[in-house]
Amino acid sequence: MSTGAAELWGGSGPARPTGAGGPGGTPGEFQFPLPESGVAARSPLQLFWRRFRRDRVALCSLAFVVFLFVVALAAPLIVKLLGLPGPNVQNPNLTDSFGSPLGPSLAHPFGVDQLGQDVASRVIYGTRVALEVGIFGTAVATLIGIVIGTLAGFYRGWVDTLLSRLIDVVLSIPILLLGLGIGAACAVRGCVGGTVQPGLGLVIFLIALANWTYIARIVRGLVLSLREREFVQASRALGASDARIMFREIFPNLLAPIIVYATLLIPLNILLEAGLSFLGVGIRPPTASWGQMIAAATPIFNTAWWYMAFPGLALLLTVLAFNLLGDGLRDALNPRAAR
Amino acid sequence: MTRYIVRRVLWGILLLILVTALMFVLFRILPTGDPARLRAGRNASPKAIAAIRHDLGLDKSLPAQFWIYMKDVFLHFNLGYSYYSNAPVRGLIAERLGATLSLMLGGAAIWLAVGLPVGVLSALRRGSRLDRVSMGTALVFVSAPEYWLGLIALYLFAADIGQVKIFPGAGSYVGLTSDPWKWFTSLLLPWLVLAAGSAAVYARLMRGSLTETMGEDYIRTARAKGLGERRVVLRHGVRSAINPILTILALDIATLLGGAILVEVVFDIHGIGLLAYTAIRHSDLLVVQGTVLLGALFVVVANIVVDIAYAYLDPRVRYS
Amino acid sequence: MSPTRQLAAAAIAGAFALGLAACGSTSSISGGSGIAVAKGVQTPRTEPQSGGRRGGTLTVLNHTDFEQLDPGLAYYNIDYEVVYATQRPLFSYKPNTFSEPSPDMASEPAQISGGGRTITVHIRKGVHFSPPVNREVTSADVAYAIERGTNGNVGNPYFPSYFSSLVGAKQEIAEEKGGPFPGITTPNRETIVFHLTEPKAPIVLAALVLPLSAPVPEEYAKRYDAMKPTEYGNHQVATGPYMLKNDSAGKVLGSGYVPGKSATLVRNPNWNPKTDFRPAYLNQIDIELGGDTTVIGRQVLEGSDMVQNEAPAQPTVRLAYEKFRSQLELSPGAGDHYVAVDNKQGPFAKVDVRKAFWAALDRVAMNKARGGELVTNVMTHFIYPEIPGFEQAGGLKGPRVDYNDYPQGNAAVAAKYMRLAGYPSGKYTGGKALQIVGSNESPSSEDAEIVNQTLKNLGFATKLTLVESSVMYSKYCGTPAEAIDVCPNVGWVADFGDPQAVLDVAFNGKNIVSTGNNNWGQVNDPEINKAMEAAELIVGTQARANAWAQIDRKLVARAVAIPFDWDKQPSIESKDVAGVGDLWNTGSWDYSFTSLK
Repeated sequence: MSTGAAELWGGSGPARPTGAGGPGGTPGEFQFPLPESGVAARSPLQLFWRRFRRDRVALCSLAFVVFLFVVALAAPLIVKLLGLPGPNVQNPNLTDSFGSPLGPSLAHPFGVDQLGQDVASRVIYGTRVALEVGIFGTAVATLIGIVIGTLAGFYRGWVDTLLSRLIDVVLSIPILLLGLGIGAACAVRGCVGGTVQPGLGLVIFLIALANWTYIARIVRGLVLSLREREFVQASRALGASDARIMFREIFPNLLAPIIVYATLLIPLNILLEAGLSFLGVGIRPPTASWGQMIAAATPIFNTAWWYMAFPGLALLLTVLAFNLLGDGLRDALNPRAAR
Repeated sequence: MTRYIVRRVLWGILLLILVTALMFVLFRILPTGDPARLRAGRNASPKAIAAIRHDLGLDKSLPAQFWIYMKDVFLHFNLGYSYYSNAPVRGLIAERLGATLSLMLGGAAIWLAVGLPVGVLSALRRGSRLDRVSMGTALVFVSAPEYWLGLIALYLFAADIGQVKIFPGAGSYVGLTSDPWKWFTSLLLPWLVLAAGSAAVYARLMRGSLTETMGEDYIRTARAKGLGERRVVLRHGVRSAINPILTILALDIATLLGGAILVEVVFDIHGIGLLAYTAIRHSDLLVVQGTVLLGALFVVVANIVVDIAYAYLDPRVRYS
Repeated sequence: MSPTRQLAAAAIAGAFALGLAACGSTSSISGGSGIAVAKGVQTPRTEPQSGGRRGGTLTVLNHTDFEQLDPGLAYYNIDYEVVYATQRPLFSYKPNTFSEPSPDMASEPAQISGGGRTITVHIRKGVHFSPPVNREVTSADVAYAIERGTNGNVGNPYFPSYFSSLVGAKQEIAEEKGGPFPGITTPNRETIVFHLTEPKAPIVLAALVLPLSAPVPEEYAKRYDAMKPTEYGNHQVATGPYMLKNDSAGKVLGSGYVPGKSATLVRNPNWNPKTDFRPAYLNQIDIELGGDTTVIGRQVLEGSDMVQNEAPAQPTVRLAYEKFRSQLELSPGAGDHYVAVDNKQGPFAKVDVRKAFWAALDRVAMNKARGGELVTNVMTHFIYPEIPGFEQAGGLKGPRVDYNDYPQGNAAVAAKYMRLAGYPSGKYTGGKALQIVGSNESPSSEDAEIVNQTLKNLGFATKLTLVESSVMYSKYCGTPAEAIDVCPNVGWVADFGDPQAVLDVAFNGKNIVSTGNNNWGQVNDPEINKAMEAAELIVGTQARANAWAQIDRKLVARAVAIPFDWDKQPSIESKDVAGVGDLWNTGSWDYSFTSLK
């Protein structure tokens, strides 16, 4: 998992563990072009869109992501249109006399699983889980990361030290192991008095726990540099409260990099969920999740390859699309880190 | 400088203690399977279970248990006893460390040997077809779940079940000392799978890092001085670009030493990852804590080494 | 004892028509039960009891580790493979029977007297313990072995179920000292007498086939039994043809048994073949533990001198059936699988809801997930094949009631019973969501999902969780306080060939305990409890079979649980192994009878 996160930083900045990422200028760290006064230039948004539009690969990946959303939202309709049975329709007639599932056929283009459930149908419905996990998990992690990162960067001093040490502790804990342990413990009745229920809730909880530190570090670095800028000094001179400064001055400038990093975090989280499901913790059956399908396919994958191959392919394409999208966003927002 | 080192090491130790404490409390509080009951077996009487619970020290209060555990670990290096395997945790970990080391070092060697040169070439020939193809491939490997790659690899190439029978299949791992050739061949496929994703990551990192570096002024100066391009690239460019990568490498290795669970599970390699995974499934708490502690130890040591290296190279850091 | 030949004749007449679609015609009827076993496949009844040469080393590959190897603690079919090769209980079964024990440590059949309250057993002469004890076995050793079942440090799981009628036993169980008590006396070195408080001699005698009655030398074991928990298992001595390798001080742990890695059985130098019915061809048995079951299966089928001595993975069974048929053995009567539902509280406290579920469940689909007709049989009542009482309880088709007549499930019958239960729409309309806890290993996980979907179709809201099998039993399904509504993956293998051993622990209300509960459905029907009390005392195999068969019919009438599978347990061997399987131990290969070709 850590190599994935390293990918996220792509440079020397936040990789340094003491969090002594100094104010701007370290190669690879994100630079956001601020609006200049005087000549009426194109707004940053327009500039961004122009650059993004030219990047064909990024456009394609955006289109694919939109397509995924459509599939997720309209899953029942699509399944019906394609003439496939629902994802949880078990059909023992589709397994041979030993219980082995039948392979791809006209009626079932991706084959069936051990219970006779149609794999194509489950792959389509699996999009929902992937997007839910990816988007919500990332959203929660990002939110926590923003809060902690801003507090640490803004107040510095002992607040910063405390929070940075906290980040160190969390980063030292192996996430998969923690996830396994919590998942095993919260298996039947949930934990924290029932708020963390096994299944989707637990996965989002684990993802948020695993990932907020990356966003926090990045935000902290950004806030540290931003707070020294003139407009913040000016605001302070005018008597603005801390909260006001954080919300009105600093936060809008964080938006763009956060969007980029969050987008790059989404595929990591989708893979994390798949990993957790593979290890037996995660989305509860009979809900179709790609990771869980691969896990279920593992005992028979040498004869029933379709059940392992198609969900994995779906995972690959989805993660690839988000990665490309994130790359595209980053390049479009920061022309200096050239392609 | 010494003060900085001392500070970092002290924080490292504190971090270890904190992480251990956290995991300890977590696993005791969470309603996992009761180790006493699991150890006692399926049909044990309540009396037998209570006896085992007492024997394992689980009937003491949480702080008391914690204190005993911490004393054992940090003063006597005794990590406790595994409920499930009836053996000392330290011994189990020592046994399994070799497999994880083999897996990791081989994998790291391959991904560095492949990823770094590809990254360098791509950086130098930015925008060319070579660049686009290699970065595209890299991205695909980064996007695939590694255990899925493992399953596909086994499906295609495993000697027992594959379509093209080249490599030994899952479960064929043996220790280096018992059969070196079998050790080597059984690790080839896991190495490739482990390296595939990471090579891609490092290629991309190298490309990005080298691109940045080559844009710096001192490179231009070196060229202006008349140094050959190769010298410029290797001596000045790569040497500088590799710094951030080493940081990440140190962390990666440290994390993997804590056990590459997914690869070990797919290929049935008896390393630390598989040990931890089995332990969690059997609620073998002390083994879980032992492996977590070990993983944290590696990460902390790696961090300290990297920090000290940076402090040595960049004096500003020492005073932060 | 049990007239199994009689049963066979009756069974053939009413045999359930089985057709193995993939391979055409059926089969050889496997004696005892009418359960069809596929053609070309061995069974413990049909395979030759002596096949190969003397000598050689057998390699055993097992994915599962042992639970307990101490004869006073072992209670699991994989443990028995080692324990019955190294220990000699008073009576034990020959490989091809599950109802006629032979005298083992006993020299002749026991004598029951005193109106069923006294059992006298004569001990065989000339049997010696393995090194380092070496001396001859006496009745005092058998007495100590059984007495230590009450020692808290030993914690034998079945003593209370079968031996609490010994005089003084109940108090001894409470005190947990393992001390001698009046119920067991040894008038001389060769005689042991059991005194009972109630006329329960049949069940006590039947229970003497369990490893608890294998002799243990007190002077050697005492210091280990004083430890919490006992260390005797790691230092045990043997009376059988083989022993776990040990060092000169007697320590087994580390050489004869390395947990999670291996176990090694070598010949017991003090074993006298003239005192034993076992041939003991092999010189050594090397057991390797761990590894992937699918990989193990291939290695065994394609290699030599190897067996896998546990249930192989499904793909392995299929591979063996298709390509290595002569290396496959199937053993009927290897136990059953059923769905336990909470009889005490929740929606299933109503008998009609239970009947509706029974009618709705597609038992054929459940069995297909487990491997199809090759290894399963649709289960229609609770006493299973090879156990006396099977025929009287309904045989293969079981009691003919409408909810039992449709193995593939029948939605109309299910709806009928839901209406009788007070749900006029034919589906559940109550608010409670069902907690279902199953095992996360294939094929049990698939069965759990089929159960989940069946209940959803009946209108229930469900929460399905799949956990580790040991956790499922010990934490959830075996703990009444957790109040799990449905446990789809429970099953039972009888301790010995008497119907009481199948029905009593699982369905008698008095056996509900707070932890390690095997009456998973918390079945507590006063009428059934009373019938079981009475049936326990009946003497004579036929009479007992009839009485317990009637109880089985009552259990079906009350739909206490939903049966679905009578197992035919597969076992595999390499081509040059003349394996002999134990019918009474799920067909596991018997090390004392197996040889190399």
